Amino acid sequence: MNKHTKTAIIVAPILTILGFALADLWEENSASQTRAFKLLPFGHCDVINQKCILKSGEFEVNIYDEAGMTTLNTTFPLDSATFFIVDRDNKASAYPLGMIDSPYYWKSPTPLRNNISDKGDKQKLRVIANIKGGQYIAEFYSQTVN
Amino acid sequence: MEGNATYWSENLRLIFISLAIWFVVSFGFGLLLVEPLNEIRLGGYKLGFWFAQQGSIYTFVALVFWYTKKMNDLDKKYNVEES
Repeated sequence: MNKHTKTAIIVAPILTILGFALADLWEENSASQTRAFKLLPFGHCDVINQKCILKSGEFEVNIYDEAGMTTLNTTFPLDSATFFIVDRDNKASAYPLGMIDSPYYWKSPTPLRNNISDKGDKQKLRVIANIKGGQYIAEFYSQTVN
Repeated sequence: MEGNATYWSENLRLIFISLAIWFVVSFGFGLLLVEPLNEIRLGGYKLGFWFAQQGSIYTFVALVFWYTKKMNDLDKKYNVEES
């Protein structure tokens, strides 16, 4: 093993570790910047009958209503979540959701069930889910099928 | 004396090429271009992800051998190889 081989073998791991340290710094910096992602309904959305899934990449939000309690169940833990019911005049009523036991489940009592309890009823809704380094937003309709 | 200066400049050139490859593979492919590279699949893995996890390491190992060979060639060219 000559001097060049020794030099290369010593320097390579140092550069490798330096590269990973810089990459880690870069990623940490990128993660702290807030970015917005749009959630889209995955198939037909019916919150009342517990069939409403919103998707953005690997992030999924399952929204359902049980006895007037609107609940969000997500695939990643959230920092906070807000649910909006939008009326015909496009005015939104905000319902900040509270965490249930884990940051994957968020809920709040809402009048949604009263608004769209009958078959065929439709309601415009919005959701804002805050996650570290990102904000997931959605505007969608829930239509009661059964 | 002029031979020494040329040897050193070629030596520096080789170091800078090696550092450029190191930067492109680790930072370029693993971070900056990760999204477009992830559109390409390599053995089931996204290429950008593969470079960040394994590809950069393989390239660094290959770079060790490549640098050694090039330096040995340079030593021979300028008759300064180890006896």
